[in-house]
Amino acid sequence: MVPLWMYLMVAAGLFSIGLYGVLARRNAIAILMSIELMLNAVNINLVAFWRYQAPLALNGQAFAAFVFVVAAAEAAVGLALIITIYRRRQSVIAEDVDLLKW
Amino acid sequence: MDITVESIVFLIFGVLTLGSALLVVTTRNLFHGALYLMASLFGVAGLFVLLAAPFLAGVQVVVYIGAIAILIIFAIMLTPQVTAMRSVRTAQWPVAVAVAVIFFALLVSVVTPLMDELGVDDFAADFTQENPPDVPADSLVRLGEQLVDPQQFMLPFEVASVLLMAALIGAVLLVWPEGTRSTPPGEAGDD
Amino acid sequence: MNFSTDTQASVIAILPEILMTILAVAVLVYDVIWPEERRVQLGYLAGFGLMSIAGVVWLIGVPPAGGLQEQLLLGGMVRHDDMAQIFRVMVILAGALSCLLAMGVLKLRARGDFYAVLIVAVIGASLMSAAADLIMIFLALETTSITLYLLAGYLRDDDRSTEAGLKYFLFGAFTSAFTLYGLSLVYGLTGQTNIYELGKTLATNGLPDPPVVIALGLVAVGFGFKISAVPFHFWTPDVYEGAPTPITALLSSASKAAAVGLLLRFLLAVFPPPELLGALEGVKDYSAFWVQLAAVLSVVSMSLGNVLALVQSNIKRLLAYSTIAHAGYILIGVAAISTDCSGDGAAAVAFYMFMYVLTNILAFGVVILFANATGSEQISDLAGLSRRNPWLALAMTIALLSLAGIPPAAGFIGKFLLFRAAVNANLVWLALVGIVNVIIGLYYYLVVVKVMYMERSEDEDKPIPVGTPYSWALGISVAGVLLFGTILVTPLLDWATDAAHALYVLL
Repeated sequence: MVPLWMYLMVAAGLFSIGLYGVLARRNAIAILMSIELMLNAVNINLVAFWRYQAPLALNGQAFAAFVFVVAAAEAAVGLALIITIYRRRQSVIAEDVDLLKW
Repeated sequence: MDITVESIVFLIFGVLTLGSALLVVTTRNLFHGALYLMASLFGVAGLFVLLAAPFLAGVQVVVYIGAIAILIIFAIMLTPQVTAMRSVRTAQWPVAVAVAVIFFALLVSVVTPLMDELGVDDFAADFTQENPPDVPADSLVRLGEQLVDPQQFMLPFEVASVLLMAALIGAVLLVWPEGTRSTPPGEAGDD
Repeated sequence: MNFSTDTQASVIAILPEILMTILAVAVLVYDVIWPEERRVQLGYLAGFGLMSIAGVVWLIGVPPAGGLQEQLLLGGMVRHDDMAQIFRVMVILAGALSCLLAMGVLKLRARGDFYAVLIVAVIGASLMSAAADLIMIFLALETTSITLYLLAGYLRDDDRSTEAGLKYFLFGAFTSAFTLYGLSLVYGLTGQTNIYELGKTLATNGLPDPPVVIALGLVAVGFGFKISAVPFHFWTPDVYEGAPTPITALLSSASKAAAVGLLLRFLLAVFPPPELLGALEGVKDYSAFWVQLAAVLSVVSMSLGNVLALVQSNIKRLLAYSTIAHAGYILIGVAAISTDCSGDGAAAVAFYMFMYVLTNILAFGVVILFANATGSEQISDLAGLSRRNPWLALAMTIALLSLAGIPPAAGFIGKFLLFRAAVNANLVWLALVGIVNVIIGLYYYLVVVKVMYMERSEDEDKPIPVGTPYSWALGISVAGVLLFGTILVTPLLDWATDAAHALYVLL
């Protein structure tokens, strides 16, 4: 099989790309998409660790499943907040969601 | 590592995941970004299949691509001006690149054998396993049982349902049009 | 390790969560069936409901006797020990008082959905106090966070509130991704998710340091965010200023207390000092890393928080920076829990959090009343408060004295215990930095007191009325702050010490 560290490297790459996206994008929806990438990186990690380190117990798979649930709730709440702001200001470009500037 | 069918498939899905992810964070058009996000998530689902977790791969397609990505596309279409913005990056984007690259290097140095190859001993965790034991055939059945077993994952399962309920109620009422729910005098909103 | 399967103990361990879920549903149901004018009473239902649940936890939520095995319940998802009990009482009480405070906010007070979401946030905080499994830790953290993102942005007609919600959300989701990545590494290094099991595996696995330190650092990001320690504090002033004030009170009390409780448990279980593991062979010590990390974060949080608080003109922002400084004081205690395994450090932190929760609710309660009456949150507009409502000015003074650490308020004893723990743990320099910071802090707290009592304003003839729910909330917190600083020190401290001892039982 492909060695474990290769999966971990894909996950680290995906996480770092998401990290760049959060820091560099100005649009709140784009930032949200980048955060989703980071969460997916975590899931690759969890499933890969489960497969190679402890395939007999199911903790890793269950953990990954709960990450899905939380990601769904987070996306719903985030988009609701974004749409509320958009209604008031016709924009979510605001520099005040720029994380590096704080 | 020999070139096997598995390693080629891994390469394809890995490149699909990372390549689309790069396009997500760099593309000008948010709508295209959301489509690339779907491609990237699909690549992750492919990796799950390789990792003998077909159930999670299915959930990935249904929940992530089918629900979350679609939700994001809806949000993009509900906020039209946003897609037409001129500059997509903040002024400090080079700093962001630097942070991301450093972070990647840091993670890679501790989880891959790279540092061992470079001659630095006792630095990285040993993650070179290649042949783990097979996954038991009934693991999906057991996962289903354990999720509702009080001695396993019942508590997080129930908490997740409470969380989803609260998120649902909160999100719906946050964007609920003003005035459709009767409010006491003097409390009507201004929009 | 085999986890206890005792059904009765399991039910008691999650009784507060069960009761709170029922309460949330009841609030939603009454929101529909009560007529409009009655809906303003929903806050009483939620507030006194939560308060009775806190009472239930205190009276019958007694942890099972025995060691770790008897206390790890429901598949090891939660550990029901004294530490869980004291932090649960704390966060549920904070939730109850926040509900009462919300009854003073016109746009929120008749909304059942608001109270229901708030109760779910408290459920998350309560579970954080007891969580003993990576999965449960993650889920509890997110349950609190996601509901608080919503609550911070709940005033959708108010630009500041919606912006606060979005800012809190983006920063929170970002930092929680780091924490989650760290948790996945911790899982990967051991293949286990129960923190008490994996702590032993981690210590005896003979791993090189860097991966463990990276995992620890990543997890710390999320904790730093939740307790608003520098450098993860950026969201704090804006969110505290923008969010509805009852939610600001909840953020600075329940959410922070639960995170501190979880932090103590997590650090001691996952990266334990070797002496706690007793007879195990080849134990590796990772605790020195987090002691240093906590000490450094503590120094920068205290100093930056206090210095920036000096220049604030808005009372909510002042309290926000004061919160950052207090995160620093708490981290002194966290740094002290490892070297000195007598439990004094953890007991000091638990005691300090208890009084801090009550003090913050008190301070923010006065701010809401004041802002409602004057429409201003400027410190200069507090002028003449002692003539407009002497009781209110007195309550605020007690809160500020407690934050500043002046007797007879409970903050004095709390700070004393923290510094003593640091000295016992050979961190004298840290205690000294803390004392210098307390002195800086005195200045800006006392300036507010001076404005309230010494300065005159044109509105002095306009009294500020205090509604019934406020009398309850403020009365309870004033009583708490004063009693726990004087005659009730010993019982609370005994309780905190018991709790701390439980935390050190890892085998």
